[in-house]
Amino acid sequence: MKDWDRLITVEEMEAATASLLENGSKVGADSWQQRVKNQTPHCGFGESGTCCRICSMGPCRITKKAPRGICGCDVHGIVARNFLKFTAGGSATHSDHGREIMHTLHETREGGNYTVKDPEKLIRIAKEWGVETEGKDIYDLAHEMAEVGLMEYGKPFGTQKFLKRAPQHTQDLWAAAGLEPRAIDREVSQSLHMTHMGCSSMPEALIHQALRAGLSDGWGGSMMGTEFSDVLFGTPKPLDTTANIGVMEQDMVNIIVHGHDPSLSEMIVYYANDPEMIALAKSVGAKGINIAGVCCTANEVAMRHGIPMAGNFLSQENVVLTGACEAIVVDVQCIFPALGPLSKCFHTKFITTSPIARIPDSEFIQFSAETAGENAKAIVRAAVENFKNRRPELVNIPQQKTKARVGYSVEAIIKVLDGVANTQVDTMGTTKPLLECVTSGVLRGAVAMVGCNNPKVRPDYAHIELMKKLLENDIILIVSGCSAQAAAKAGLMDPEMAKEYCGAGLKRVCELAGIPPVLHMGSCVDISRMLILASELSKDSGLPISALPVVGCAPEWMSEKAVSIGNYVVATGLDTFLGVDPYVKGSSEVCDWLTGENGVKKWVEASYVVETDIEKLGDLMIERIEAKRAALGI
Amino acid sequence: MTLFERVFGGNDAVYGLTEAAIDNAIATYGEGQAVSFPDTAYSLPCYYAVTGVKVNTLGELKAALGVVKSLMTRAPRLHDAFMSGVATALCAEFIEVLKYINGATPYELPCYGHITDAFVRNLGVPLVTGDIPGVAVILGSAPTADEAVELVKSYQSQGILVTLVGGVIDQLQEKGYKTGDNVRVVPLGMDVTSVIHVVSVALRAALIFGNITPGDAGNLMKYTMERVPAFVNAFKPLDDVIVACGAGAIALGFPVVTNETENIFRVPKSLIVQEDVSKFNATSLEARDIKIKITKIDIPVSFASAFEGEIIRRGDMQVEIDGSRVDCFELVSTKEANEIEDHKIVVEGPELDEIPVGSKISLSYTVEVAGKAMQTDFESVMERKFHSYLNCVEGLMHTGQRDMIRIRISKADFEAGFRFKHIGEVLYAKIKSEFEAVVDKCQVKIVVDAEKNAELRKKANEVFAKRDDRLRSMTDESVPVYYTCIMCQAFSPSHVCIVTPERLGLCGAVSWLDAKATNELDPAGPCQVVPKERCIDEELGRYEDVDEAVFKYSHGALEHITLYSLFQDPMTSCGCFECICGVEPVSMGVVITTREHAGMTPLGMSFSEMASMTGGGVQTPGFMGHGKQFISSKKFLKAEGGLGRIVWMPKDLKDQVRERLDAAAKEIYGVEGFTDMIADETICTEDPEQLLGYLSEVGHPVLSMEPFDM
Repeated sequence: MKDWDRLITVEEMEAATASLLENGSKVGADSWQQRVKNQTPHCGFGESGTCCRICSMGPCRITKKAPRGICGCDVHGIVARNFLKFTAGGSATHSDHGREIMHTLHETREGGNYTVKDPEKLIRIAKEWGVETEGKDIYDLAHEMAEVGLMEYGKPFGTQKFLKRAPQHTQDLWAAAGLEPRAIDREVSQSLHMTHMGCSSMPEALIHQALRAGLSDGWGGSMMGTEFSDVLFGTPKPLDTTANIGVMEQDMVNIIVHGHDPSLSEMIVYYANDPEMIALAKSVGAKGINIAGVCCTANEVAMRHGIPMAGNFLSQENVVLTGACEAIVVDVQCIFPALGPLSKCFHTKFITTSPIARIPDSEFIQFSAETAGENAKAIVRAAVENFKNRRPELVNIPQQKTKARVGYSVEAIIKVLDGVANTQVDTMGTTKPLLECVTSGVLRGAVAMVGCNNPKVRPDYAHIELMKKLLENDIILIVSGCSAQAAAKAGLMDPEMAKEYCGAGLKRVCELAGIPPVLHMGSCVDISRMLILASELSKDSGLPISALPVVGCAPEWMSEKAVSIGNYVVATGLDTFLGVDPYVKGSSEVCDWLTGENGVKKWVEASYVVETDIEKLGDLMIERIEAKRAALGI
Repeated sequence: MTLFERVFGGNDAVYGLTEAAIDNAIATYGEGQAVSFPDTAYSLPCYYAVTGVKVNTLGELKAALGVVKSLMTRAPRLHDAFMSGVATALCAEFIEVLKYINGATPYELPCYGHITDAFVRNLGVPLVTGDIPGVAVILGSAPTADEAVELVKSYQSQGILVTLVGGVIDQLQEKGYKTGDNVRVVPLGMDVTSVIHVVSVALRAALIFGNITPGDAGNLMKYTMERVPAFVNAFKPLDDVIVACGAGAIALGFPVVTNETENIFRVPKSLIVQEDVSKFNATSLEARDIKIKITKIDIPVSFASAFEGEIIRRGDMQVEIDGSRVDCFELVSTKEANEIEDHKIVVEGPELDEIPVGSKISLSYTVEVAGKAMQTDFESVMERKFHSYLNCVEGLMHTGQRDMIRIRISKADFEAGFRFKHIGEVLYAKIKSEFEAVVDKCQVKIVVDAEKNAELRKKANEVFAKRDDRLRSMTDESVPVYYTCIMCQAFSPSHVCIVTPERLGLCGAVSWLDAKATNELDPAGPCQVVPKERCIDEELGRYEDVDEAVFKYSHGALEHITLYSLFQDPMTSCGCFECICGVEPVSMGVVITTREHAGMTPLGMSFSEMASMTGGGVQTPGFMGHGKQFISSKKFLKAEGGLGRIVWMPKDLKDQVRERLDAAAKEIYGVEGFTDMIADETICTEDPEQLLGYLSEVGHPVLSMEPFDM
């Protein structure tokens, strides 16, 4: 029996982590587990969102005795302002990732560091945007599209181009509620303007803007990030890879790529396969070079190259704790500053590459599109040369490894669906086979599960246990980000193994379509893929998105990006279930706006559900899906 | 109403009927009354396959209904719908078995009702080879009788086995369309419950060929889904009962194609709405992933394996080519490439239209082939295929081989424009397509001239005699290698045949030469070379090389086999064996019976019951499946004293093997007329004492042999 011929349980993963922490204790390493203890209990005002520190008259904290801040703002205004600021942070972050991709697109040239790998997709989007493609050199078109795309960030008039991809009903809802996002940067700026001292304090207006800023991310920055990453690096197709900490190799140079922007990791992967570098690795006594990923960078390279996924957000210290990590190379977002001091406890090189993410105790090799090749080669070389500094007595790679089939872009999903359609009856290239599975009851519905790890929830437990519960109930999962990696680490993306955890309906679907029951759609910007899929399902069924038995879920979310995502998913018509409270419980009004019948639901036909009891969260999703089915009479 | 609600409703309705029918039967006959289907060792095959429990009496049937009820859960999940579908099927089986109560014969031709085990076993080889590429279950009435005929005909021309339930049977009758198992169109019955008889075939295939443990419902359904290429065509209107039956079919992996559009849900690859009945065929084949091997042959009549069993009666025949009365023969002859003009077909003598109706004529055909990889050993392999090739021609019947062939060409064929030259076309096309790896060029010479054929036949007989000498000289010792045959693994995933010159494949269809040719034609195919360099025990026929091959090709399921022993790691069976032998403990001999023999043996077991002891790639010491030809081999049961152990065989089988068996017995034991010393059903059927009496009377050699070392 191979190591991966079964699911790896959360308990087993925790045992592996414990053995790694023991490794760390030998060299005096700190850990997030320890820091959580140090930080507990958390500030109650912060947790409920009732602390305001947007001017220097405060900070003001709302209590029964002090129901208003010095400026007179009540608890609802403060909580809503904090919520909007949080969203703006996330929207800015995702969208800036998208902007970087557009700049990379602008740098493409024939034979250059970056090229156009999916020209058909570029032409398709150009046609969608009304950019002339006939007789144009593909690189001229790429540069023109990059400029048009970049204008989406700052154009003075008009709304986001990609909104037209949504079903008409959704577009109508947005128009009626005034939610259509304008220029991406404007939505972020306006959010920060609204939350400035002495501007908005009305929850309705603040939450309205939070949805609009979220939409500018989902249907703007993130969607550009996803779509043009596909143009640059290829649209993902189903690929087999491996996951969990055991993907690190004892006798190879291990380079971990971590962060979010594929522009860096693509280059590292390329140079790790360079014969010169492999020869160099052999000359220092290694068998070769092993690249593995952590966080969304892992998702990006796994989806396109089958690079193994070592772990998700809260595994980032684990890879260093193995003592077998020659370099951990990071770009942007979700990188623990703790990696600096931790890497010093081992031989690991901690290499930062982006001016956006500068971290103490790291080696900074600034990565830019023009010099990407040289930068990547220098990084790989540094890692290889570091192999000799490994301390064998500290090497501990837990032998946990699963198989995973990844790479389910919308294009790939449609192709899978074509495979089960019947050419004598069906039209090809639609989501109808999936809809038929749902309307007949074979599948009860779908859950888009996304988001991070959070120590407030037992890490990975919520993702994995919820997924298992949903699979058992014939609910298919589309996943991205750290949720996707949790599934992969456990084995839920192994088509052979995972189907045994499914109800008869989902199992049959997986067997007929040759898919795992948990479909890896990519990194966190790739949640935009889920928006497109939901839109296609709506168009092919003639039903509003909100009527489909599909919901979103982020059981272990932690970042500002996640709140921005939540807002655009809800604003697209999908009820969204959170396992962690978004710092709003201090205001009944804000809670009503987000979760009630008369809040955002009036605008977009969907709302939030917050439930920190994971078991209940699962039941609530199943109930909601069944209620939507009942409403459709299916 | 949701799809699942329809399934549940249909299931409840059938359950109610079943309960009433059983109660009624108990009221009439009492709980002790026996219930069974004829000619099966698998009790109520569906219920037995699903639960592992055999039902023998009405009382037990009533208890079984309780088990069925427990499957009928009602959560809105596919699992519940599938189980309710299965429950509906089991209820149908109960209703059907009640029809057979008290020795009744509820079905009359054209309807078959329950299908025998022998029929299921016969399906093994053709399903494996793709000769039967699929099984269609057609239910209800087509919009018109013409459409019914067209649909059935379309499947038949692809070799697909067609089973019929309900109105479609009347529609075919109305059009005078020929049905019957010999043309692969099998009407089951008029009631929808009779559909269970084809489900029963699929489930028994899983038990027989797949070695699925009765009661292992999960693997049972996995087997049928992955390995039984069946599908359902259900004509509208579909009531809830049919929808519930459909759920059962889909649970087993069989897609349902229907022209119903009212109150129906679509499920990809499972429940497909096709309004155009003329596209049922293409839609079904795509849904079940059935690929049809297309042989386009330029003849004026149909060519399909479904016509292989067709019989041409005297009154329907245009001419008869009769090797038993006049000089006829068929021959493959290897030539140099420059002696052959590819696709040349010559008819020497009169064509069919120049011969009076009803004549018996002398005719020979020689297929001349050339190719760089051609070997004369393949000549007989190709020649053995002629029987099947020519029988696939609609309206033509071929029997026999070599110079004892008989061919009837029907009047209908003659009227359609069929001529002798078309025999050449068929042989040319098939040889070129099936033996393309060894045959580069091929021409056919047909001679319709009695005088000339008398000459040619003599020459042909010289060739046959030479081949026989070579075959006789070919022993397990004289050849350098053996071959595997894993053709059956599509159905029986852990079975491996080891084919040697003296022990052909247990299906009787793969000789050592066939295996050799198959290996040449498809080096990565089912027949792989097995070296025989490391012999461990010559008496048992145990080789390290053979064990390695068996381990590898059974994917680790088997570690050891012997070639010549019934007790020491006997060779396994897929389930499609021609014969089965089993130990008869009173005489210390063995009993052999065949698929064709429906009666009992002195073991107190029928063929079906003995066959159910083995098959599916399992080793059952004391029972072994084998080909007919192996019986007269000097290697048969060599480790246990040889063929002198045979104490009982059906009379028909004795007649088939007599000549060679007598010769072999004479050589080994110096006994004359050994075959007659073997008892048969005319001497004793079930009584071992009677058997022993007979053996003593004739002085059977087994009596002087050592007892088995069991």
